[in-house]
Amino acid sequence: MAGKSRWADSEEDAALEAKLKREKEEKKRLKAEKARKAAEEEQRRAAEAATRQQAAAALPPQDQDEDDARRPAKRRKLTPDPDARPQAQGTASVQPSDKPEDDEGTKLLRFECNGFGPAPSVENYDKLNDIEEGAYGWVTRAKDLRNNRVVALKRLKLDDSAQNRVGLPETGLREIQILKDCSHRNVVELHEVVVNDGAATAGSGGAPGRIESIFLVLEFVEHDLKSILEDMPEPFLASEVKTLMLQLASGVAYLHENWVLHRDLKTSNLLLNNRGRLKIADFGMARYVGEPAPPKLTQLVVTLWYRAPELLLGARTYGAAVDMWSVGCIFGELLTREPLLQGRNEVDELTKIFELCGIPTEEVWPGFRRLPNARSLRLPKSSATTGSVIRAKFPLLTAAGSGLLNGLLSLDPDRRPSAKEMLQHEYFAQDPKPKHEDMFPTFPSKAGQERRRRRETPNAPGRGQKAADLGSVDFSGIFAGREKEERGGGFTLRMV
Amino acid sequence: MAHMANPLATADQLYRRNNLAALPQDLQDAIFYQTQLLTQAAGLLLRIPQSVTAQANVILARYWLVDSPLVHEPSDTSAASLFVTAKLSAHPVPPRDLSNVYAYLLSPGSSLFRRPAPPDDPASYYLSEAAYTAFHNRILVVEARILGALSFDTHVALPHPLAVTYLQALDFMAQPRARITRRVVEYLNTALLSPQMLYVTHQPHALAVAAIYNAAKDTGAKMPECPWWEVFDVDREELGFLVVGMRSLDGWVRKMGEEIEEFGAGSMVRRRGIEAELAKRGIVIAQNGVAGKELDEEEAMMRSLDERAAQMES
Repeated sequence: MAGKSRWADSEEDAALEAKLKREKEEKKRLKAEKARKAAEEEQRRAAEAATRQQAAAALPPQDQDEDDARRPAKRRKLTPDPDARPQAQGTASVQPSDKPEDDEGTKLLRFECNGFGPAPSVENYDKLNDIEEGAYGWVTRAKDLRNNRVVALKRLKLDDSAQNRVGLPETGLREIQILKDCSHRNVVELHEVVVNDGAATAGSGGAPGRIESIFLVLEFVEHDLKSILEDMPEPFLASEVKTLMLQLASGVAYLHENWVLHRDLKTSNLLLNNRGRLKIADFGMARYVGEPAPPKLTQLVVTLWYRAPELLLGARTYGAAVDMWSVGCIFGELLTREPLLQGRNEVDELTKIFELCGIPTEEVWPGFRRLPNARSLRLPKSSATTGSVIRAKFPLLTAAGSGLLNGLLSLDPDRRPSAKEMLQHEYFAQDPKPKHEDMFPTFPSKAGQERRRRRETPNAPGRGQKAADLGSVDFSGIFAGREKEERGGGFTLRMV
Repeated sequence: MAHMANPLATADQLYRRNNLAALPQDLQDAIFYQTQLLTQAAGLLLRIPQSVTAQANVILARYWLVDSPLVHEPSDTSAASLFVTAKLSAHPVPPRDLSNVYAYLLSPGSSLFRRPAPPDDPASYYLSEAAYTAFHNRILVVEARILGALSFDTHVALPHPLAVTYLQALDFMAQPRARITRRVVEYLNTALLSPQMLYVTHQPHALAVAAIYNAAKDTGAKMPECPWWEVFDVDREELGFLVVGMRSLDGWVRKMGEEIEEFGAGSMVRRRGIEAELAKRGIVIAQNGVAGKELDEEEAMMRSLDERAAQMES
């Protein structure tokens, strides 16, 4: 047996070793497989999470339900077990009954809503300077002491005189309500409503006193279009006009889509910030309307220069088209820097409208004769003088542009484009393209104080005023001197 | 914009309601019910649409979660909430009409809360000029107070139009349209009076579905076999709660009438009546409570210590 060491590898040993090795390899393989599986699992989970996230992003209102679905225990506690239902049904017949069915999967829509509570005090704001006094209140620049945000405080006028005992003005309340409901990039944002109830002066022991004044806390916007137009040496470029009109149309489209009529669109109610963003403001005349519009709306709306002909003729049923007329007037004003139709009174305004847009006929405006103030109108008969002169008055405007302006200033409200249609108008697709908001020029603020000039435009009509009765007005002479007028055909070269 | 949703009361507001006025729960509920009923009656007499009156009911319910019901005379609060909602609607109410209607409803000659109806006595609801001015002044004060307490948010979404849309979607459950719709509207209007304040704790779509469920039960309509309410985004628990809540009002009103004499048979509840009832129960209402000032804990503690000291002395 010599020669064969006891340490020598025997066949047995070899076999053993091979076996061990095999086992080891097997273990290794298993481990690798496990790792691979884990990795796969991980991947799958990640993918799942990603898709869930995507789904959640696509459907934000269902977020809440996603959360609920992940906590089935809580749900089950609230929901009676499906098996227990038949018994419950027997005892209480009013209990909702349904087939035992898996309802875990259904996603219910939840409404996002805020609560309600008392209005905070104006003491949280520090007054910086006055901005302007409008028809419906004073506007002040102020700083929110809690977060140093600069805001505009608009104080509602509270007429508490003996003759006018109607309580808080409904115009102000409507403005608050509508602004609270609105959220759009081209509509001024209402942060909150604060009051001055004299609580601070009355001392903490006394009951909250009566509300002395109400302030709307609005986002602060640097300029209004009216003062910019008044101060600018050169009118807006065509591309800039397009940007402004697009923003105006998209804001108005949002309002109309949400059943709001603004009823006082004019350049002094359009704000522009230093980033080229236009915002519609001053909802003192605005109100919700239904479809069809309610009858007996007041015709005393919209500042005279921007008032649609159907309102001037006394229509009590009107709709979104009155805002579109104002949009047309603003369009013209942006092009020339001058209000388009500066009538001295209702009759003069109508004269100016007919001079620009032509004389209404049954063809251009079917049924206009039935409007209260139109019955006794005496209009020139000859058809030669009835056309619109918009194309001639804006020689620099492209055909599409004057087409749009013509459409907005259609005498017949039904022929005016809606704000939504306006957004699709060819005019905005043509060169020059609308200028990007960020490229918009900035304008110097008024002596750093943002003090705006007192408006020279007439104010929106006050509530309760008597609607002007046009009586019988003779318009037959308005085109008498037209041939003698000078034809302004000059042209200018401008960079666009 | 949410035309179909309402701001809802927070759990905290519902909890704090009991502290706003030192009123027992049953009195508070009775005052709530009677005042809402008064608003409805006034809305009818003023011939304003139910959509406006119902909004006034909801505004009032919200207001009383923020402010104590005893700050003002409940009838004034009812009138002011009706005044402000009507003002913002297409059907404004002149203060003079409002004043006349409330003078009648609160007079001994009105048939509201009285069975059998008393004989008509015009002299009992004659409104003097001084009374009118005083009423008008009070309404203006309460109006401002309500609006301030609600941050001037007067938005109210009602379930009635939604209910009609849902009924159409359900094809009126194969019932005569007028019949089932009428029942649904009845449930919705009754729920306005419920001291459970269903309109400030639940969204309109849930109220609409619950009313339809109840109406279908009452008319014996065959409902879909599946959980159809989920189609309208209402879950079982919410529906069950509302269904029971809407059905329980009738019994509750009857029980209340028996339990609280001051409230049941007599006229519309007045602040004086509430105080008398409280005195009868031996509850002394603090001056602050009447003024609507919420007692903070420390104050309450001090008061209880004072009372105990007074007891020991005597």
